[in-house]
Amino acid sequence: MTEAWILVYDQEAGTALTRSARALADRVVAVSLGAGALATADLTLTVDVAPGTLVEAYARPVAALLAERGATLVLAGADVRGRLLAGQVAAHLGVSPVDVAGVVQASPLVVTHPAYGGVAVVTEEVTAPVAVLVVAAGAPGPAATPPVSGSSAVEASALEPEPGLVLVETRAKSGEQVNLASATRVVGVGRGFGAEADLDLARAVAAKLGAELACSRPIAEGVGWMPAERYVGVSGATIAPDLYLAVGISGQVQHLVGVRGAKVVVAINKDKNAPIFAHADLGVVGDLYEVLPALVAAL
Amino acid sequence: MRIVACIKAAPEDQDIHVAPDRTLDLSRAAWKVGAYDLNAVEAGRRLVDEVGGELVGLSMGGEALAATKLRKDVLSRGLDRLVVVAGDPAGDALQTATALAAAVNEIGDVDLVLLGAGSADRYAQQVGTVLGALLGRPTLNAVDHLEVQRDHVRVERLLEDGVQVVDVPLPAVLAVTSGINTPRIAGMKDILAAGKKPVLEVTPPVGAPAATTRTVSVLAPEQKDRGRVLVEGTATEVAQQLAQFLKAL
Ligand SMILES: Cc1cc2nc3c(=O)[nH]c(=O)nc-3n(C[C@H](O)[C@H](O)[C@H](O)COP(=O)(O)OP(=O)(O)OC[C@H]3O[C@@H](n4cnc5c(N)ncnc54)[C@H](O)[C@@H]3O)c2cc1C
Repeated sequence: MTEAWILVYDQEAGTALTRSARALADRVVAVSLGAGALATADLTLTVDVAPGTLVEAYARPVAALLAERGATLVLAGADVRGRLLAGQVAAHLGVSPVDVAGVVQASPLVVTHPAYGGVAVVTEEVTAPVAVLVVAAGAPGPAATPPVSGSSAVEASALEPEPGLVLVETRAKSGEQVNLASATRVVGVGRGFGAEADLDLARAVAAKLGAELACSRPIAEGVGWMPAERYVGVSGATIAPDLYLAVGISGQVQHLVGVRGAKVVVAINKDKNAPIFAHADLGVVGDLYEVLPALVAAL
Repeated sequence: MRIVACIKAAPEDQDIHVAPDRTLDLSRAAWKVGAYDLNAVEAGRRLVDEVGGELVGLSMGGEALAATKLRKDVLSRGLDRLVVVAGDPAGDALQTATALAAAVNEIGDVDLVLLGAGSADRYAQQVGTVLGALLGRPTLNAVDHLEVQRDHVRVERLLEDGVQVVDVPLPAVLAVTSGINTPRIAGMKDILAAGKKPVLEVTPPVGAPAATTRTVSVLAPEQKDRGRVLVEGTATEVAQQLAQFLKAL
């Protein structure tokens, strides 16, 4: 019987991680850092996290625990905390963490992840005695995974965090939750917009189309006009809507990777030679400041 | 304060040629320092300008690092000097971090190691996390703001659902976000000065760790065939055509 260990610090993310783990193993054991018992796991080792302590401060003792229990397959989520936890746990176990966007087969374990900004996909076999995987949300398993729920036994585990980092405060991010992945129509905005207020032009079109608004990375991380959850691409969200309308986006490969699954791609760009046009079903050469208002009128 | 900024040279994505059988030809690609590594260099420069000290660039890699142009480019962005370790740029996070850790120890008295969000080629975002563990120093990723306060740095760490404010005792290892700053564009003076800055080549540690994975293939993903219809005209004309197309979906 194969066993997968998952590193959990949040119930919802933990449940998603169990699903990925079930695709790779028969039994799932969760190490829960301050998140309580996980109903979907067969066994949860619960660890109390002291206030003011980061979950990552438990990396070394968690690695020791995994080694002691003979874990050979460990999964963490590909979010900020999951990455740090997985990287440090892997280092303490003497292996490199493995980035997983997709799973080709479970045994021997073969996984895929993008490289060169999405120009390539690397397929690799994990050959180390312990696999510490950093699993992208929804990384599909080798087969459709049945919704098994575990026997959910619980064991308390007393681990001592490493001293050093002090959590002074946590500020919840304000603003709406977005779920681009489930949107059927998406309007994406890029650096072709000169000012934040101009995004209203795209919002008006999105409203007419019943579409969600998304953006390229510089709009979210460069100028901060939109929250990071709304940027699409190799390091952001992957979407598969029926329609993707890219406005003022040049079409760099890092961005395009995120919309490869779109049924129809339409682009508006004033540069006739913009790379996006080679990846669009319909390309409109024009100034977005003129085309968008005219489009709202025509829709 | 002595700060080390880690940088990696990688082939430019646009220069990578994809053959019909989806294999890649990297031979014509120019190697450049990753865009996100420059955020680490910039963050380091600003800290050193504020509190005094030295900013050392550190890079592990192959032949690409021998190029004067690349060395000058990165030195012109604010480094005081550059340390180069010979190694395989295709190495995994543990192999890379092992080489970097040895170099950090050799440089000596390093208060802070900075890295960018991720390398331009793999973007696994893991060299910093592993490096911190190997050096046994407090480590954080996704650092979006940092400020030196006597013996520690106070950082803001950008999570998916919020921001953590964390006090990090020095010495430490921090990976910064791509939004933390806007890296400077080097001026003529910086480029001229870069030619005179010292570059030190250090020997890699013996006994590198075994690779964690074996590469099966590196291929371009399958492309969807798109219609590639292009329309031009006045705004009203193209908007009409576009509206018609969208309504028909
Ligand atoms: C490791 C790595 C990871 C990355 N990950 C991502 C990612 O996940 N997602 C992502 O999006 N990017 C990512 N990037 C960045 C990516 O390389 C590009 O820089 C980015 O996608 C460009 O955004 P853009 O198209 O909005 O801007 P630009 O490339 O500046 O394009 C702006 C476009 O707007 C057009 N334009 C200007 N004015 C007008 C007008 N008035 N009307 C119409 N069109 C106009 C221009 O012709 C141009 O084509 C990553 C980069 C790296 C190195």
